[in-house]
Amino acid sequence: MIDGGKSYSYSALLQSINADDYFPLLKTTDLFSYFSNLVKALANNRSLTLLDSDLNQAELKGMDENLVNAKEKVSTIDFSSMVDVIDAVKNSNSRVTIFTSGTTGQPKKISHDVQTLTRSVRQGGKYADHIWGYAYNPTHMAGIQVFFQAFMNKNVIVNVFNRSRHEIYEMVDKYSITHLSATPTFYRLLLPMEKTCTSVQRVTLGGEKSDEHLYQAIRAIFPSAKINNVYASTEAGSLFASKGDCFQLPAANRDKFKIMDGELLIHRSLLGCSNSLALDGDFYHSGDLIEWVNQQEGLFRFKGRKNELINVGGYKINPEEVETMLNSIEGIRQSVVYGKANSVIGNILCADILLEQTVKMTELDIRQLLNGKLQDYKIPRRIRFVESISVTRTGKLKRT
Amino acid sequence: MKNKLLVIINDIRRAKNQPVVDDLHENDNLRSDLGLTSFDLAELTVRVEDEFDIDIFEDGLVNTVGEILKKLEK
Repeated sequence: MIDGGKSYSYSALLQSINADDYFPLLKTTDLFSYFSNLVKALANNRSLTLLDSDLNQAELKGMDENLVNAKEKVSTIDFSSMVDVIDAVKNSNSRVTIFTSGTTGQPKKISHDVQTLTRSVRQGGKYADHIWGYAYNPTHMAGIQVFFQAFMNKNVIVNVFNRSRHEIYEMVDKYSITHLSATPTFYRLLLPMEKTCTSVQRVTLGGEKSDEHLYQAIRAIFPSAKINNVYASTEAGSLFASKGDCFQLPAANRDKFKIMDGELLIHRSLLGCSNSLALDGDFYHSGDLIEWVNQQEGLFRFKGRKNELINVGGYKINPEEVETMLNSIEGIRQSVVYGKANSVIGNILCADILLEQTVKMTELDIRQLLNGKLQDYKIPRRIRFVESISVTRTGKLKRT
Repeated sequence: MKNKLLVIINDIRRAKNQPVVDDLHENDNLRSDLGLTSFDLAELTVRVEDEFDIDIFEDGLVNTVGEILKKLEK
């Protein structure tokens, strides 16, 4: 594993796993100690809670702060090789507690068994030489999935999360990264393209809506890569395989999913354990809005998040739809759409826009371009030009 | 003040590819004469507030240019 100029081998990992202590509640920015603690706990059938390194006191509510970063003795099994460790992790009966990112209020606690977290991991000879660009927060579902995929094949992991555009291009080249899995926001921040990266064979997108404009850009940067999507949630882990820019409900358990008012509902049997998940009968409201591409084949497309809809004069606006339209305008690199409280219509639609470096555009230009392409109420009424766009703890777009 | 209001209203019209108006009259109705939708009116309140620090819709709807000017003169 390579993290911030330091590198760690799998034998260093084995050594650290065979040491005595572990932390049931570890809070650290050091990726190697974080992962070795995780593997150590699971291989020894101990449960643990994954905490964000920047989690604050208010978000920790209900947890004993003294337990954070407190060691606990385990009489560890003495593993002689990584193969044994990987087997032990696969068959572990530990439970792993994680938190939702809490973009809309208090983070929710969800606990999973290891088998749920690793159900999409593929192992075998053809996965052996993969080199992963690690582009997710390690304490959240997507980051955990990528970690297990890489770890169970003893792949190299290069940490590229929260790095600058230039550093990411450098690292992809220097370490010949073959696999990248990240949010659409991560890939958008690689624009404008610095150079093509031919070592990358697979590019995976997840967690947010993506669009054709972005696919084109990704194809240009990573000409040798196949592109696919994943759908995973904190509540349920990895659920669907992608088909182009669509997802398909698995035929075997299609009855475990329902669509209500455009929202995807997931059966409780697919969820982790939590006290804070409100169920509607046997179903959980995922908050994800989808549209059918082919209902008979269970083929759908991700449209946005229900709790991010903005009420403008009684119309519910999906900010991702407006962002997609803005991002398709030549000269706009990225945009964020959000609502601002207004006495006349509830909310007024606003957009922050990051232009390509050499482009000059005015608010008037953009609004005239949108005219006729979007309905009147979907056109942002306040446009700010910004130097940078903020992302959340999990690398998704932050709507203020 | 009237001139500033004229600029704001014309900015909103231009963004919708509508021709600019040369002059404002006290009796001009914001909707029927100036073609502003409720979304445009919301934008108008925000822009007027930026400029004059007054929320013109604070105590109910205004319908004409004259009503806006009266609020701004207070």
